[in-house]
Amino acid sequence: MKNNLKVLLIEDDMIEVMKFNRVVTSLDLKCNTVEANNGEEALNILEKKDELPDIILLDLNMPKINGMEFLSILKEDKSLQHIPAIILTTSNNRKDLLECYKLGIAGYILKPLKYEDYVTKIKKLLAYWSINELIKT
Amino acid sequence: MSQDNIDILQRALKREKSARKAAEKILEEKSLELYNTAQKLKEANEKLELLLEEKTSQLQGVFENINDAYLIMDLEGNALKMNDAAIDLFGYDINKEKLNVIDLIYKPDANYAFKSFRELRKKGAFTDYTARIITKDKSIKWVHINASVIYDKKKLPIAAQGIIRDITEAKRTASLIEDQKRKLAKSNDELQEYAHIVSHDLKSPLRSINALVSWIKEDNEGKLDAASLQNFTLIETTLEKMEQLISDVLNYSSIGSEEKEKINVDLEIVVKDLAKILYVPGHVSINILGPLPKVKGYKTKLQQLFQNLISNAIKFIDKDKGCIDIEYKVLKNYYQFSVKDNGMGIDKQYHKKIFKIFHTLNESKNSTGIGLSIVKKIVDLHDGEIWLESEPKVGTTFFFTLKK
Repeated sequence: MKNNLKVLLIEDDMIEVMKFNRVVTSLDLKCNTVEANNGEEALNILEKKDELPDIILLDLNMPKINGMEFLSILKEDKSLQHIPAIILTTSNNRKDLLECYKLGIAGYILKPLKYEDYVTKIKKLLAYWSINELIKT
Repeated sequence: MSQDNIDILQRALKREKSARKAAEKILEEKSLELYNTAQKLKEANEKLELLLEEKTSQLQGVFENINDAYLIMDLEGNALKMNDAAIDLFGYDINKEKLNVIDLIYKPDANYAFKSFRELRKKGAFTDYTARIITKDKSIKWVHINASVIYDKKKLPIAAQGIIRDITEAKRTASLIEDQKRKLAKSNDELQEYAHIVSHDLKSPLRSINALVSWIKEDNEGKLDAASLQNFTLIETTLEKMEQLISDVLNYSSIGSEEKEKINVDLEIVVKDLAKILYVPGHVSINILGPLPKVKGYKTKLQQLFQNLISNAIKFIDKDKGCIDIEYKVLKNYYQFSVKDNGMGIDKQYHKKIFKIFHTLNESKNSTGIGLSIVKKIVDLHDGEIWLESEPKVGTTFFFTLKK
């Protein structure tokens, strides 16, 4: 890995954020995480055009601007729409899945019950995006 | 005059007399015949008159008694005759005022009305005219009309008659039903949304607890005693069961909400595929007796139906050699399927209860008590029935029917 992967994690659940950070720390993954508690916060972070993340991990059920609304705004914005967005959610609602892919997502990952399964999934996710060529700003 | 001449004359007179008598007799007979004929004719005439009267009064009866409005009009649309039902419907009484049917036309339907009127004159009739009319008191009513032209002896049109049915109430009911259907569909969708959100919100804390438990375990490696580790394992098992329960409830509430159209489903393929995916322990054999039929239904639901019944059968097999037989027979309008196992059997008192949601007979890790209620719901969705026969310790057979 040449550079650290810059990840914007949009998640309202404190323990979910802790889980993600713990995986990154314990596996010593090269990853810089910026946290946002909801879509609104995330949009504020994305205002800084010179510090855009490489990928966005997005929860769907959130207060204020929810995942789907955030995704629509992101994909409308010419300066942001290129950033790969990966959904990280509990909802295996087929309607949500279809809607997300229609809006334009780079992946849809279900949060598993077991922490060890979660570790495996996040490890693979970050490994995959680390070997991808990304549009750096 | 000589004696000879007198004789001749007398004989002639006599002949004449008898001839006249004969003639008189014939006349008498003929006149009797004529009288009889006249009598018969008179009777026939009386009968005909009676018949005519009868028909007229029948017609009058029909005219007065039909529930539908009946109206006769001339070719310009002027009402000539109408029954009480028509007076009630239109609000006009032609004994007191003039009425032209054009007055009844509701403006937005005028084009359709005139078109139908032209059709009546051209073809001699129209049927199933359905439109609104405006009555004397300015209320709008939906009517259904069948009409035909009346001709004279020379086949010339002289008038038209129509039977008018008030369908305002039927229309209102139909639109009410449509309305209710739309509302129901909407609330079903909302309920579905709601089920997904609730299930999300319920699952999130479970994930968190699971993560926290693994961290405590990780962070205290070597420090925890066997009992604590055992308890942590129990927490994890409980969490898994809880999550399964939530998934099953969501699954149950989703039945009948995703697939819209019934299609032809080849159950032979469905069940064969299932036998491949399902985990079947080595000591259990699944036998599909005879190729299964095709039915009209929802494919994934039917798959789930068989999956739940088969995995249920597997779960409760307590013999060294397990045997599950799947077969069907053809009934008049249905196919009747059976899934038979040689498991532990179910006591008679539970036969009805087991189809109710959350009713599980065994407290086991992978039993949430929803499987059979899902089965029941799917069978209901396909207009079928489900029941079982069972002997404790010997085995159970589930029967269900699916519409052909």
